[in-house]
Parts: sequence; C-alpha cells; structure tokens
Amino acid sequence: MSTAALPGGDRSILERSPFARLPDRALKYGLTALAALILALIVYFFVRLFAESEPAFAHQGVFGFIFGNDWDVSGEKFGALPLVVGTLITSGLALLIGVPVAVATALYANELCPLRLRPALTVLVELLAAVPSVVYGLWGIFFLAPKLQGAEQWVADRLSFIPFIGGGAVTIPNYFIAGLILAIMILPIVSAISREVMATVPSDQKEAALGLGATRWEMIRTAVLPYCRAGIVGGAMLGLGRAIGETIAVTIVIGDAPQLGKHLFGQGYSLAAVIANEFGEAQGLHRSALFAAGLVLFVLTLLVNALARVLVSRASRVRGRSSTVSAASQPPSIAGAAAGA
Amino acid sequence: MNAHGAGGASPALARFAVSRARRRRDRLARGLITAGTAIALIPLGLVVYYLLHKGLGAWSASFFTTDPTGNTFFKTSSIGGVKSAILGTVEIVALASAIAIPIGIGVAVWLVEYGRDSAFAHVVRFFVDVLTGVPSIVFGLFIYIVLIVGTGSSYAGYKGSFALSLLMLPVVIRSAEVILMLIPGALRESALALGAPRWKVIARVVLPTALPGMVTGVLLAIARASGETAPLLFTAATTRNTDFNLSHFMNSLPVQIYNDVTSPTTAVVNRAWGAALALVTMILLLNLIARLVSRRSRLA
Amino acid sequence: MTKNRIGALASVALLALGLAACGSSSSSSSSSTSAAGSTSSSSGSATVSGAGSTFAAPVYEQWASAQSGLTVNYQAVGSGAGITSLESKTVDFGASDPPLKPADEEAIAKNGSPAVQIPMFLGAITVSYNLPGVPAGLKLDAKTISDIYLGTVKTWNDAEIKALNPGSSLPSTAITVIHRSDSSGTTAGFTGFLTAADPEFKSKVGEGKDVQWPTGTGAKGNAGVAGAVQQTAGAIGYVEQAYALQHKFTYAAVKNKAGKFVSPTLASTTAAAEGLKVPANLGIKISNPSGAGAYPITSQTFIVVNKDLCKAGVPGGEAAAKGVVKFVTYGLNEGQPILSQADYASLPAAILTKSKEAAKTLECNGSPIGG
Repeated sequence: MSTAALPGGDRSILERSPFARLPDRALKYGLTALAALILALIVYFFVRLFAESEPAFAHQGVFGFIFGNDWDVSGEKFGALPLVVGTLITSGLALLIGVPVAVATALYANELCPLRLRPALTVLVELLAAVPSVVYGLWGIFFLAPKLQGAEQWVADRLSFIPFIGGGAVTIPNYFIAGLILAIMILPIVSAISREVMATVPSDQKEAALGLGATRWEMIRTAVLPYCRAGIVGGAMLGLGRAIGETIAVTIVIGDAPQLGKHLFGQGYSLAAVIANEFGEAQGLHRSALFAAGLVLFVLTLLVNALARVLVSRASRVRGRSSTVSAASQPPSIAGAAAGA
Repeated sequence: MNAHGAGGASPALARFAVSRARRRRDRLARGLITAGTAIALIPLGLVVYYLLHKGLGAWSASFFTTDPTGNTFFKTSSIGGVKSAILGTVEIVALASAIAIPIGIGVAVWLVEYGRDSAFAHVVRFFVDVLTGVPSIVFGLFIYIVLIVGTGSSYAGYKGSFALSLLMLPVVIRSAEVILMLIPGALRESALALGAPRWKVIARVVLPTALPGMVTGVLLAIARASGETAPLLFTAATTRNTDFNLSHFMNSLPVQIYNDVTSPTTAVVNRAWGAALALVTMILLLNLIARLVSRRSRLA
Repeated sequence: MTKNRIGALASVALLALGLAACGSSSSSSSSSTSAAGSTSSSSGSATVSGAGSTFAAPVYEQWASAQSGLTVNYQAVGSGAGITSLESKTVDFGASDPPLKPADEEAIAKNGSPAVQIPMFLGAITVSYNLPGVPAGLKLDAKTISDIYLGTVKTWNDAEIKALNPGSSLPSTAITVIHRSDSSGTTAGFTGFLTAADPEFKSKVGEGKDVQWPTGTGAKGNAGVAGAVQQTAGAIGYVEQAYALQHKFTYAAVKNKAGKFVSPTLASTTAAAEGLKVPANLGIKISNPSGAGAYPITSQTFIVVNKDLCKAGVPGGEAAAKGVVKFVTYGLNEGQPILSQADYASLPAAILTKSKEAAKTLECNGSPIGG
C-alpha cells in the first residue's frame, strides 16, 4: 500500500496506521506458538510413554518385544508380534472394506442423490459415528458374528486353496469380524470428509467435463476424483488411525488369542485390545509392557502415515504436480484456465 | 449433454454419440456407487434396530430423572436411571470440546495459512496424523500417569475431559485442514487485494467459508469423544450421584454402559442398552441442531 | 449472518463451560457430596473413593447405596489397578481378590503405615456348560476339567466324563472350550484350582490371571463367557457364581479333595473356607479345601487399606478415613445378609470375627476409629 502523498497533502486512503500490523503479527505468532505447543505436547506424550515402557524394553530388548512371537504374561515373556500382525490385519481389512464404501457413499450423496434426500443421507451416515464403540462390540459379538459364521465357513471351505483365507475352523470372534466392525466404524469419518471435499469441486470443472461429452461416471473420474484425491487420502488416514487405535470394540470381537494369525476366520489379538484387557490387573513389568505396546502403536501409525505420504506425493509427482500440499492449496489448472478465458 | 442418446441424431453427430461400452461402464459405475451406499446403510439399520429393540424398553420418565442407585439385588427397590451419566457426559464432553475445538482450528489455520510447505509445518502435520492412531485407552493412561499418579491426586471429571480433548484434537485439526486447503487461493487474494489485513481475511473470509465443512469435522470429533469409554475409566472414574463439579468424580454414559452391561442382573443390563440408545439419540440431536445453526453454503 | 452463526455456536460453548465451571455440587438424590480432594469436612457427609476388584463390585455398590451421609464411589478397574491406586494414594481404599504380594505390602506401607487386608466375602467359580438334554449337576473332577481345557478330552461322551457319570447319557457333541480373554481374578482362581490338582496342567499352562490357553475361544468378561456358552451348544466355560446363579445356568458338580461331588451353592462355598489356616496378615487363599461339603473352586476378596489411614494421607482426608471404616464395618455386620440375596457367599464365622477385629484396629493419626 503506497504511502506516497497525494496531491493536496492528504494521506493515501490505502495507508494504514503502524498499529494496523499488530493484530496480524499477534495472530501469526500466536498461532505459531500454538502449533509449537501442540507439537511439544505430542513429543512429551511420546517421551512419557517411552519412559513408562522402559522396563519392558530393558527386559526383552526392543526387537525382542516387537518381533518376539510369544505373549506370555505369567511367564513374563512379552513378544508382541502376534499383536502387531493382528493390528495390521484388522486395520488393513477395515481400510479395504471401509474406504471404497465410504467414497461410494460420498459420491452418491454428492453426484447421484436426488437433492431432497441429500441431508437425510448425510445425517444417516454420520449417525454411524454416534454409536459408542462398546455398542459396536456387543452388537458384533452377539448379533453379527453368529449370523455370519455360516457364510464364513462356506467361504473358508470353498476358498481353502488360498493360504490365509481357507482351511481351519471358523471361530465366532475372528479377524474378519473385527475388520468388518472397524470398517463400519471408520465409514462415517472417511465418508464425511470425502463428501465435504467433493462438495468443493468447482462446478465449472464438472460442467466443462459434461459439456465435452463425458458420461456421469467419466465426469466423476476426470473432474471430481483427481481434485479430491488429497482430501480423500486425508480422510482415509483419519479412518486408518481410528482403525489402528480402536480398543473396546475390537477387544470384544477378536477373540483375544495371542497367536500369530494364520487364518482370516480365526481368533486374533491386537495391540489396543491387549492394553484394554490386561491393564486393570497388570503390575510392574506387565504394566510397562502394555505401555510399550501403546508405544509400538504410536510408531506403527507413524510408519503407515509416512508410507502413505510417500505414495501420495509420488503419485502426484507422476501426474505433474509438485506436491499434495501446494497442489491442493491452489486452484487446479483447468478451473484457472476456464476462469481466465 | 446433447451428445447423449444419439439414437436418432444426424449421422454428422453420430461420432459424438456415447458408445455402448461407455454407457455400460457409466451404468455399472453408477450401480456400484449406489450399491456401496446401500451397503453402508445396512449396518446402520441393523445396529439402530438392535439398539431400539434392546434399549427402548428401559426408557421411562424415571430413567432420565433419577440417578443410578447401585441397588441391584433387592427385588423390590429400583435400580435407578441414568441422570448423572447423561449430565456427566454433557459436561465432560463440553469441556473437552471447549479445549479441543479452538486449539484444533487454530492449529489448522496455522498449517494452511502460515506454515504451508515449511519443514516445521510438515513435522507438525505428520505428528498430528500419528496422534490419530493412538488408542483411546492410551490417552487415558497418559493422563492417568501424568495427572493422577504423577501428582498424587485423585480422579476428576476434568482429567477425563483432558484425555478426551487429546482424542479429539487430531480429528479436528486434520479435518479442518483438509477443508481449509480447498478454499481457492483466489478468494484470499481478492480479499487481500481489497486491502484487508491478514487476520481479517482469515476471520471474515476463510473461516466463514470453511465453516460448514469444519462443523462436520467437529461433530465427528464430538460424536467420537462422547462414545469413548477407555479414556474415562482411569481418569474421571465414576460416581452415582449427580455432581456438577468437574474436579470430583463424574459419571458418564459410556462408563455407565460399560459397567452395567457386564452385570449379572438383567434389569441393569437393560438399563445399559437404554443408556446406549440415549447416547446415540443425544448425538443425533446435536448433529441436527448444529446443522440447523450453520446453514449450508457451498463454495462455488 | 456470519456473526450470528459464530455467536450462536459461541454462546452454546460458553453455556456449556459455565455449566461446567460453576462448580458447587448439587445433588438431587439422597446422599450429598463434598470436595474429594480437600481436608476434613464437617460431620454428616463424606465422600470415600475406592478401586479394585470387579468381582466384588456389585456388592460394594449395593452396600454403598445403603449408606446415609456417606457417598462411596467405587471403580471396578481390576484388582491390580486397585492396589496400584492405593499405593499412589489415588483412592481411599483398594479391593483385591488375591491376597497381597509382599512387594505390594511394602509399597503400600511406604505411604507411612502398614497395609491391612480384610477378607470380606467369598465367591465360587462355576463350571457352566450348554448341553441340551443334560441337566445341571454333571459330575466332573479336576483331572477331567483340566483335560478338557488342555484339549485332550474333545467330546462330551469321552470315556473320562462317562466314567464319572455312569448313569447319564451323554451326546457325542464336540466340546467348545470357552475361557476369559482379559486378565482376571476369576481366571486366577480357576487355574489355581486346576494347577493344584493336576501336575500336567501346572506344567503346560500354569496359574495366573492371564495364561496361555492351549485350546478354546476367548471371551471378554464374565458376561462374554456366559454369552458364548449360551450361544454354542456343547460349550463349557468358567463363570462367576453370582452370574451363573442369577441366570440359572447349568453347571457341574465338582469333586473336592474329600472325594465328594459338590455343586456350587452358597453353603458349599462358605464351607470351603472352614478350617482354613489364617496367616497373621489375614491373607487367606483358598486352595483345594478339604471339607466334605466344600466346593473346591472358591475364591476370596479383600478390602485393603493402610492401618493408619490419616497418617498415610488418604485423598479424602480424615472424613474419608472415618467413612472407610464405617463402610467396612457395615459390610462385615449389617451388610452380610445382603450377600445371600446377591448370590455371594459369606465367610465362615471364625474368619469373619478376625475381619471385624482387624477393622477395629484401623486408626486415624494414632487413635482408633472403629467401633
């Protein structure tokens, strides 16, 4: 803003008083301090967890803890591999089942749904988020699991040639049910965020695609989905986080058997579940082993997130954009060109 | 859209017609999307039916207006309702939201407006993402270690709120950030070009535009926090009486449900299901009210 | 318009905060509460906090509801967490099913006063099963139960079971073994019984709150095991007595040391502690009782406090110290008849007397509270 004096000696109307900068500066430094504070809190959280889990790592060794295949409380052996594998299996299942369905729901709500039904559909999907986790667990074990047992047995028998799916007896609580319940639980998060993201697609982009002769699906595929990719991945990451960390519901439906999961329809265990199950009665070394399990979860989420970031940024680079962050914060080129034309 | 349905169009336009393969793919995709939505709604219907079936019977006037009595064995006296649990949940979640929402939105604003692509912002973003994966019980245990065992003090409602706000924070930050990032830069630039200072652009242009989307994220975080048991078990503990003081033990619906559902007495188990139904209804009402308050306004 | 929206949300938030902050306690039910963390309050109302055993929770809740002028807040977080809470002075009293380990006694004593554990009541662990056509009272002994849980006995009409039940017709259904998935004193009691009676079980599985089961499905909590047993024909699971009695499960009659097959009734549970040798610190542990009418899978539960509660610095202060003693004394006297209504078993008279004496020794800063 020019401070050059105008003819006549008046100050430029664009000029601002020296104090005008103050709120801006205050906001900037205030928010930066806030972000730093949150980061410090997370780091402290990590450090404290580590401090509490120290005895277990000293006893077992870090690699012994993570890759040891034996969780034996009374024998004071704490090998968490079955738990880590169980967490990965159930979260993977949850993503595999949950994200496509969630994105489909968001697409339907935004593109295909009749306008009058849209708010109802939105509320219904978010209602899934309102159900407490303990209710999901109980509904899973008392209603869903017994009902699906027959179908699971059929699948296990028919597909017995596939190593992980087939063969072996189907127990009522098993990995599959846990993954399914988790998928239902992450559905509202992924769907709601995807929906919000899809709603921000500029309609001129969509109309341009349709105007060029695209079918509805082609329009979605070329104009909506690429624009929303970063946002959908963000939503999926939140969903994954929920799936990895879900405690109570998984505890109830997974069977809680600390054996390495060889079998989709067999019992398993997860890191979060073991903490919930054993903390009440744990003392001393056992307790610190449970904190160590929490720490492993923390690190697991870290690794998965890092991996997701690498994959997404690599995909964006291939498509000719610099990075997901800057790409998403700028209007995409088509809309820019359309606006400028 | 005039190129579709090319059946009777002139031969000149025929080459713009939608091929059968494309039309089939379109119909298939649409069918899959609709099917996916139906699949999403089936468990909802089943769960709601299950809840209603098991919980509605427990609802009565006294269910909402009396505290649980702990009296479970005398056949003649009442087991009480869940009043203290409902009020407790409202208070604990309200405090947790009051902490998590402003801080969360603040951090999200910083990430999008100021931090952007800097290394520091990447680090913050990364660690916030990581925080989403921590199990709810670990938040409770963290607060337990730091605020209860560490200070040698007892359980309190506000400590439960702290644990819940830790749970809500990453959800609020991440979802707000996603929405804020999608606001076109052109909007900000035009406001700046008109001479508005940075803070006004954020407060008057960016945030209001993002509000409907952020409300969704916030509601999801609140819904999650309201239904979590594990963080409260070792922090807020539980009590039977209605007590508005957050520095005392405080009852809450998830903990009440968790404790009741394992009771040997059938009437108590029924009360647990009634409480679960009440919790879901409360969150649904909150959802509806919040949507009414922030009427939808789309960007484009 | 923007201002209205933000204003509306802000006012809702402020209202909620205000509700939360304006802290004077107000209660519309009978007992009144007072600040939990402060020092002694006026006479008439006090708040006591306790944590521990989930097994004993329903009884403590019941006793708490009968108190007037005293609010007892009990957290059923598990015996282990209860003792830890007492050690860190988070609560006024702890509750544990197993007797205190020496390490725990030391840790509690560090607070300034030795630990006192008071046996309160007993409970049995039933071996419940779901076998249509076979009524309650199927005769089983420790070896057979152990073999079932080790997986060597796989069907209900196995020779071992038949040998004990010559008169009954047993189906060839496969046995579905259900065990607890969470750490629990019930598992400790059950495995303790099997370990004492069967060396093979001792070497293969051992005793503990949380063991490696060679076979079977895990279910969470008593309710989980009970539900799983009810859902599956041919299932067998170990379920707390109160649960089994209230829901009228079919359970086995287990052979005790004297050679008799006893059903888990309240009387047979109390009989299990008859003639039990009581150590000086009252840390009784029922293991393979020798009485003729004793049900062999029985466990006890304690309330654990510091001897001088005030000196040890209980969070509730002097008022809470007095409240704890009032609560414990109530439980040992007027609270006893409630036990049978709740399907829990009372201690035999000899041990109950010792508990009452122990409660009388509790003091506050040197002067005894009890009475």
